[in-house]
Amino acid sequence: MKSGRGVRRLLAAHTVLVYLFLYAPIAILMVFSFNAARQTAFWQGFTFDWYRRLLNDGLLLRALRNSLEVAGITTAAAVLLGTPAALALARPAFRGKRMTQTLLYLPVIIPEVVLGAALVTFFGAVSLQLSLGTVVIAHVVFSVSYVALVVRARLAGLDPALEEAARDLGAGPFETFRRVTLPLALPGIVASALLVFTLSIDDYVITSFVAGVGATTLPLLIYSMLKVGVTPEVNAISTLLLAVTIVLIAAAHRLLQEKEGR
Amino acid sequence: MKSKVTVLLLAAILAGACGGGKGSKPSGKVVNIYIWTNYLPQEVIDEFERRTGIHANVDTFDSNEAVLAKLQSGVAGYDVAVPSDYMLKILIPQGLVQSLDHGRLPHLKNLDPRFLNQKYDPGNGHSVPYLWGTTGIGYDQRKVQPSVDSWAAVFDPRHAGRILMLDDQREVFGAALRLMGRSINERDPAILRQAAERLKKQKPLVRTYNSSDFANLLAAGDVDLSQGYNGELAEAVSHSSGRLTYVIPKEGGTLWIDNLAIPKGARNVDAAYAFLDFVMLPEIAAKIVNHVHYACANQAALPLIDAKIKADPAIYPSQEILNRCELIEDLGETTQLLDQLWTEVKAQ
Amino acid sequence: MTRKTRRALPFLLPTWLALGLFFLVPLLLMLGISFAQRGIYGGLQPIQHLGNYLRSGAFLANYARSFDGIFLKIAWRSLWMAVATTGLCIVVSFPIAYYLALLAPRRWKGLLLGLVVIPFWTSFLIRTYAWMFILRTEGLLNLVLVGSGFLRHPVELLYTQTAVMIGLVYGELPFMILPLYASLEKLDRSLLEAGSDLGANTFQTFKRVTFPLTLPGLAAGIVLVFIPSLGQFVVSDLLGGARSMLFGNLIQNQFAVARNQPFGAALAFELTAAVLLLLLGYAALARRRGEDLL
Repeated sequence: MKSGRGVRRLLAAHTVLVYLFLYAPIAILMVFSFNAARQTAFWQGFTFDWYRRLLNDGLLLRALRNSLEVAGITTAAAVLLGTPAALALARPAFRGKRMTQTLLYLPVIIPEVVLGAALVTFFGAVSLQLSLGTVVIAHVVFSVSYVALVVRARLAGLDPALEEAARDLGAGPFETFRRVTLPLALPGIVASALLVFTLSIDDYVITSFVAGVGATTLPLLIYSMLKVGVTPEVNAISTLLLAVTIVLIAAAHRLLQEKEGR
Repeated sequence: MKSKVTVLLLAAILAGACGGGKGSKPSGKVVNIYIWTNYLPQEVIDEFERRTGIHANVDTFDSNEAVLAKLQSGVAGYDVAVPSDYMLKILIPQGLVQSLDHGRLPHLKNLDPRFLNQKYDPGNGHSVPYLWGTTGIGYDQRKVQPSVDSWAAVFDPRHAGRILMLDDQREVFGAALRLMGRSINERDPAILRQAAERLKKQKPLVRTYNSSDFANLLAAGDVDLSQGYNGELAEAVSHSSGRLTYVIPKEGGTLWIDNLAIPKGARNVDAAYAFLDFVMLPEIAAKIVNHVHYACANQAALPLIDAKIKADPAIYPSQEILNRCELIEDLGETTQLLDQLWTEVKAQ
Repeated sequence: MTRKTRRALPFLLPTWLALGLFFLVPLLLMLGISFAQRGIYGGLQPIQHLGNYLRSGAFLANYARSFDGIFLKIAWRSLWMAVATTGLCIVVSFPIAYYLALLAPRRWKGLLLGLVVIPFWTSFLIRTYAWMFILRTEGLLNLVLVGSGFLRHPVELLYTQTAVMIGLVYGELPFMILPLYASLEKLDRSLLEAGSDLGANTFQTFKRVTFPLTLPGLAAGIVLVFIPSLGQFVVSDLLGGARSMLFGNLIQNQFAVARNQPFGAALAFELTAAVLLLLLGYAALARRRGEDLL
């Protein structure tokens, strides 16, 4: 197995390189958000200036609030629409099941450009003013599918005997749902909610088509800042966002791990 | 238990962060503005909000065609838009901008009559001029020799990969047409196709097409020559210790006038009029000019403008140079051909 | 309606309504527009006589135009860029997926996997911006290369196809690593041992045992990387300098600047058709192997 050990070391080295490739740009962004120089990557001293400017930037704070509002409403709507759909799909075949599945796959498959273009055309045709509301509608369209598919996958892995047992013990359908199905499906619901929340906060393409005035979300603001030029303020926002994301994931991971451990 | 508390705590912090913060609207009065990038300083927006209590939402664009697309959709929701001369000529007949009641604009009298009553909006029935300027070439004098005096410079293979052109179909075609000895308002399809061929040949020499960041890219050394608008380039020139300079080529440049207009269907018309009148105040107009380095059409503001800016020939050019420039005009039906040719050039 | 369907109805109706109204209707509307023509300045040209319009085949004008040389070039460029991105992703991802799934120490696995996932959860825009920051003429890469004396002149990587490729691969990498990992993880290690017991060396085992068994993961990864790469426009816009127009840019351009919604709509449907065909192919392949789709 001598060749095995050499190969093993090679693979380990490659793995390290890939991790470096994945994280170096992120780390660089973070480090240079403290650089006093405006135009170049030449280090000109440590400063919190760019962060200070960010926190005083009304435009940025509003964009952040918009993004959080949209993501929050979208996640709630997607879960409320998608979970029942997943429950129905977890049942054995019925007429219209395959069609529903196809319908749910489509928003995920269709390229974002196409979806964005179709929605803005539609809103124009029915004279619906572009606003934060149209952004929410657009986000819900692609989010429902994710929730339905993830929760359905979760439900598919469950033992049907559990529900039967509950019914044998005399529980009505609603009680069965509340005390057996829902708790078992919960990790899937939480995971899909997290996924959808993140997708909504990060979405640029679809949002760029359907956002109205005053409905600037964080990605839209960042994009317009990028267009006007590379500035350290963008580094600062990036760092903050990255930090928040990592903390949230870690927290969610802990939370889910705990639930699984039960 | 501990991790659940962590998550709840995080959620509470986030909720708090968006609840408070400077983003909250004061009185519910709002004006939605759609304007060129780098065209409206934050301090002027703040001053407007302070004086009128009206909150200003500002979105930016970097091409006239983008304005047209937004206004045509009918659902963009802007109360103030800032199209250029020829774009107004297109917007007005399509009924996309409202007629203006001059009685509601008392400070209109501050404006320079030379910029009023233009062909594209007779009697200023639908717009008031905001800022004006020229389009020429900014370049690095150390790297580009001899000194540039012709549009041929941005078609020169010696500078391959170091050229920047605006992401604007009229301006880019204008450069090619002028080099061919034609007007920027050429309508002959055959000539336009020839210009398109020239631009397709030029494309490999162009590093990027950019209408928002050209001055920064030139200043940072990403390109040596940049087609661009005089204001931002003049600012870069003044910070460059003589390294950069701005020129309007001998074949001529573009003279453009950007105008404030109120789109049809605007929901906050009163707020829009308040904003239009506000920027015609002499001290406000002067503040804008001192900040963005573009000339304004406001006579009363002249005494309040920085002497350095007034003396800068890039910002306030001589009459001789202005005579070399032309206003862009609407091409009517030929617009469709131009849109198509531009797509072809960009698609190359 | 069967009893089963009736029982499922209240669960499905809200979703059907939401997607029907805000997904199917807009798509159908756009399909209709793809058969219309643009007015002089934009918008739609009113159709004088519907019968003649349909009979003369004029309604296919946009689709016909999309086969013009210049647009085929863009389609071709988008296609090979998506292929190249996918290929690079596979080459980079396979070794690390293999290591993580089969060779990494057990207690590190969770953490290592988590580290692969975290970039996926962070903003795509920001990760693309990171490369703008690194690759520009006064960016970090040039600072290091020129400052250290390694190069005399800065290398101009920003606003090139190379930059776009780097940005695409960087963004899509987690989507290839994860499915490959999932597939490799499920591998029955005893099969590998059997291979070596029969006298095969590492490479032969890989070629005849490991690789064939990871094909489902590979296929999933290809789908997850190739399809978004086909339709993307953010990376080529930011890192490509508005120079290399890809199919996604072309579509967005028609709606935002060129104001030719009918043509944009036709292009959008062609892209959708291509994607659907690819997926149907994948589904057929999966069915033949008896695998489940997702």
